Amino acid sequence: MISIPIFLQFAFLAGIISSLTSGIMGSYVVIKRISSITGSISHSILAGIGLFDFLSYKYNIAWLDPMYGAVIASLLSAFLIGWVHLNYKQKEDAVIAMIWSCGMAIGIIFLAFVPHRQATCTHVLFGDLFTTNAIDIYILSALGLLILFFSIIYYRKFLIICFDEETAYLQKVYVKTFYYLLLALISLSIVLLIKIVGIILIIAMLTIPATIANFFTYRLQVMMVLSVIFCLIFNTLGIYISYLLSWPPGATIAIIITIFYIVLLPIKKLFYSYE
Amino acid sequence: MFFIKLIFMKKILEIEKVSFCYKVKPILKDVNLSVEEGDFLGIIGPNGGGKTTLLKLIIGIYAPHTGRIRVFGKEPREVREKFGYVPQAYNIDKQFPITVLEFVLLGMLTKSHFGFFKKDQKEKAIQILEKMGLKNFVHSPFGSLSGGETQKALIARALISDPEILILDEPTANIDPESEKTIFDILTEINKTTTILMVSHDLQTIISRVKKVITVQCSVNTLLPSEVCEHFALGLYHSPIIRKKND
Repeated sequence: MISIPIFLQFAFLAGIISSLTSGIMGSYVVIKRISSITGSISHSILAGIGLFDFLSYKYNIAWLDPMYGAVIASLLSAFLIGWVHLNYKQKEDAVIAMIWSCGMAIGIIFLAFVPHRQATCTHVLFGDLFTTNAIDIYILSALGLLILFFSIIYYRKFLIICFDEETAYLQKVYVKTFYYLLLALISLSIVLLIKIVGIILIIAMLTIPATIANFFTYRLQVMMVLSVIFCLIFNTLGIYISYLLSWPPGATIAIIITIFYIVLLPIKKLFYSYE
Repeated sequence: MFFIKLIFMKKILEIEKVSFCYKVKPILKDVNLSVEEGDFLGIIGPNGGGKTTLLKLIIGIYAPHTGRIRVFGKEPREVREKFGYVPQAYNIDKQFPITVLEFVLLGMLTKSHFGFFKKDQKEKAIQILEKMGLKNFVHSPFGSLSGGETQKALIARALISDPEILILDEPTANIDPESEKTIFDILTEINKTTTILMVSHDLQTIISRVKKVITVQCSVNTLLPSEVCEHFALGLYHSPIIRKKND
């Protein structure tokens, strides 16, 4: 039997766990058409990472992992965008762009005071899959289970608020609460993906596999399952190729996803003969 | 018999002095309206006249800035399960991955268990779809339906919860005459047990089918179908849109 290096095992494991969540939450991103919101949240995470990295360096607090900053920043920006969407819908687009760039700006300023900023930036922006350790796997699993739990028990409620908010209201679904919850779950899955593909490529992981899955089905639950399977294939293949060729894994995965998308695009036309 | 029925006619919807503005622009002003059980109301008026706003106020999606709305003596929000609502079809995302059956079942989400439906609930949905003439589309993608079929599916979704008040926003906009006739026949049938409020542009059909006509153009008037000014039928909207007494 061929022995797989331990770092590669952890990398594959991280890829598998993130497939589950990015497949499911990515389907919501695609059907609700909130890829720009997703992009905004993922980039604004740099603010939290920068701040926590700065604080932990400056005051020498070892437990202050930048990942906690990422969770807080992503939830905050999700809440802000959700609040603007629900109350000032016409200004949503500008706010999304503002949070996107402002979040990155804050992160860049904090990181300017951290000597190891080069390393942090590379890891956060492009992912650092091959440095995954056991603790990372525990954190990823916990976040993944949380996302999985909520998205299964509230499947139909998320579906209805994505599809038709008026009917959701008449069916006594708390539209605002569930919208916030959906954005919060998307934020958590974004945090989960930082390790895998990095901030810049997260949007690819959360949109393209689900879009490809949508080629083959017109049912949301099937789309989610297919999307998870696609993510599994793309992640595993990407990690393996990047290991063989010494390419950065995040970028390799993103390239593979895009190639699959282009190759499978003609199938959509065959499947949706009614369009 | 008729008089007995008249005495026992229940007022199920009462709107008193309601006004609604969008930012500073008044959409509806000093609206008074009462609807009795079993009514079939046709709501007409120019584009931007406030028809859809009126419907959304009635179901409680919007709250009036002044005045009050009572449905079965309560706030609309509190009794929202009694409404069946058919929104304008162009607001619905036709690309959404959902089958016609799943779409109709969304109309009784409150009765599901964590989003799962029982077999008899699914059978009820299929029965309603058969009634609407969509028997062959039960498992089809919602996006594959034509304009008329989409409207029928929307009505099926509104009916599945056995509403006491059915509210329709332009159910016959942009559809073929045959589907339109089917829809009106079904609505006439439903009206035997359900109160109906319907917005429509098709004045001729409205006059022949409904019991009362509501004209909405910032203010609201209730008329009998025979009182509607014939200019309105020609699309010449003018204010006031009711026939003068001495015309």
